[in-house]
Amino acid sequence: MIAVRDLEKEYHVGDHVIHALRGITLDIAAREFVTVVGPSGSGKSTFMHILGCLDRPTRGHYLLDSRDVSNLPADELARVRNETIGFVFQGFNLLARASALENVELPLLYTRGGALRAAERRDRARRALAIVGLSDREEHHPNQLSGGQQQRVAIARALVNHPKLLLADEPTGNLDTDTSHEVMEVFARLRDAHGLTLLVITHERDIAAWGTRTIDFKDGRVNLDREGERVAAPTTCAS
Amino acid sequence: MRIVTRLRGVHPSVAIAVNALTRNRLQTGLTLLGIAVGVATVLTMLAVGAGAQRSIEQQVRAAGLNQITVTAGNWKPKVDDTGAAVAHQADARRLLAAPRPRRVLLPQVVDDIVLASHPEDDPMEKHDHPLAWQRLGDLEAGLGAAATLTFADAEAIRRLDGVQYVACGVHANARVFHDDKRWFTRMHGTDRQLLDIKRTWTLKHGRFFSDGEQDDAEQVMVLGQVVAEKLFGAIDPVGQTITLWKQPFRIVGVVTSASWVVRPAPGDDEFDAVYMPYTTTHRLLNLSKLNDITVTAASTGEVSALSKRIAALLRQRHGITDTQPDDFTIATQATRAITTGGLPPNVAAAIAGNVRELERVTLEQLAGTLERASRTMRWLLAAVAAVSLLVGGIGIMNITLLSVTERTREIGLRLAVGARARDVMRQFLIEATAISLAGGIVGIVAGIVTSLTISSTLQWATVVTPGAVLIAFGVAAAVGVFFGWYPARRAASLDPIAALRYE
Repeated sequence: MIAVRDLEKEYHVGDHVIHALRGITLDIAAREFVTVVGPSGSGKSTFMHILGCLDRPTRGHYLLDSRDVSNLPADELARVRNETIGFVFQGFNLLARASALENVELPLLYTRGGALRAAERRDRARRALAIVGLSDREEHHPNQLSGGQQQRVAIARALVNHPKLLLADEPTGNLDTDTSHEVMEVFARLRDAHGLTLLVITHERDIAAWGTRTIDFKDGRVNLDREGERVAAPTTCAS
Repeated sequence: MRIVTRLRGVHPSVAIAVNALTRNRLQTGLTLLGIAVGVATVLTMLAVGAGAQRSIEQQVRAAGLNQITVTAGNWKPKVDDTGAAVAHQADARRLLAAPRPRRVLLPQVVDDIVLASHPEDDPMEKHDHPLAWQRLGDLEAGLGAAATLTFADAEAIRRLDGVQYVACGVHANARVFHDDKRWFTRMHGTDRQLLDIKRTWTLKHGRFFSDGEQDDAEQVMVLGQVVAEKLFGAIDPVGQTITLWKQPFRIVGVVTSASWVVRPAPGDDEFDAVYMPYTTTHRLLNLSKLNDITVTAASTGEVSALSKRIAALLRQRHGITDTQPDDFTIATQATRAITTGGLPPNVAAAIAGNVRELERVTLEQLAGTLERASRTMRWLLAAVAAVSLLVGGIGIMNITLLSVTERTREIGLRLAVGARARDVMRQFLIEATAISLAGGIVGIVAGIVTSLTISSTLQWATVVTPGAVLIAFGVAAAVGVFFGWYPARRAASLDPIAALRYE
């Protein structure tokens, strides 16, 4: 699914050059549930931005689904984001003035060949909300939903255009422990039921334990890359 | 996003834009107001311009430039070697020197001979008096006296293309009585449509005679202002009775001049005159012919062409062969102006006969004067429009920049889920244009109201044309796109990662 070769990223801040990534080489197979850990500034967010086609590497190659997307023009990258990748953010990033359903519809406004017809957008958004178990909250606005529910709306939004890769940047950072595990349980279920490839950034060990593989970043390099079936999956939350 | 829900069916970008504008209602409202003032001014400017144009047309019509007069007979003055007319006066002198014996036809006129001894009092009299030139059907008399024009001719002319109004006329000098007062004036037997042709006329009292009165040949009369003053003084004479040819006529109205250029004066043939339906004249005098037919052209530029068509029609109707002269005379305001302009008659006739669209010359002079007057007003409005559109445009730029800043995270999110830079750009351009178009609509309404107010208070003609409304709307849209461009460009060039992190 993902093949990364000698990936480097440099930022220029004034006269200084910051090496965010110093040569990453790794593969992620389809249906893997990867958690990424590491201290602040270790490069894990930069790595995720490049994987998410929000940014381009300074050097090296990134093959997504066997296609080299390292140097695609901006509009092509937008299309890849729209069709292949789903994002979940720490702060949910829901539109406050839109209902849950309307939030989930958002990616469908930017599909290839223009926005989908309203009826189809609505229909697909409904199904995505059903997957995360929020069918009864379609017309609720974000301020009427709990943090966990808001994050599930965000997950539904990430799912609505049937991506292959789901990227989550600290998805549980704003949630309490129980809710965090609920959200992670949704991720695990999606991987099992829909064959998604998942990449979740976290700094909490017990959240990282949900992954089938954990990559530890340090100073722009991969420090540790452990594989293992649900290292510490809490049985209470697993279905 | 309740509005978005309601707007389902329209393009999502438009729905998002409208929704976004409701976030900062006050700012949106104020910005909208600025644009509205600008658009209203633009529309008013165009309305004043179009109004001036229409005034020109109206002035031209009032001046009678679209008027064609067809007169019975084809009398031309005899000219001496210098081109000066001599025949008319000479004939008059000859006739005065040798009066013919008089025949009296109407007995009542004989009874009244002491009071109404003037020869004009007997319309059936075949006069030899020099003022009797216009005697109907008198072939010896001059212009207008030949009995060649009929009501059927008038109806045929009415059916020609480019004809606006037609009024037939029978004219005579007349002595009118009221109580012990009498006044020698002109009698016009005419058509209801004369009031439409005489654009500088206004009814001081009462009304013009009606279609019904004309059809029934009723004895009703409209007095000219001068006649009304001479016989009734300052009193409103409507409803009173006046006597002509020993017949009582009911007065229905008094006409006077609406223009300060023409003041009613004794002997002016227009307001020192009485008007009755030509049918009444025909009935009382047992006539069927007309002295003249007055025609107005629907378009001022058509006058020459229409004159030619009328001439062709009448020649055909009167069975005039190619070798025979016309038995009627067609005059337009332009040919009249030239022939009375001090030119030798033969030169004037040559010009009038050969210069096409002569009426345009006079038209352009008039147009020039009015155009200069309205230009000052238009420049002033253009300046106000430019300033208010600039201020409104800056307002749009400001509110759109505010919106871009407030929604940076939203822009980042949209980019992350697949929006391209151009999608974001379009989004904010639509938003900016939505304000300006809303302002445009308010402005158009305000502009129409302003134009009407200018018309009614300043007496300055304004015309709001559909084209002007379209232009005003277009200006509003252009302002939105122009001033929305920079903020939209800024939104579109945001880095998605930075935008997502923006606090």
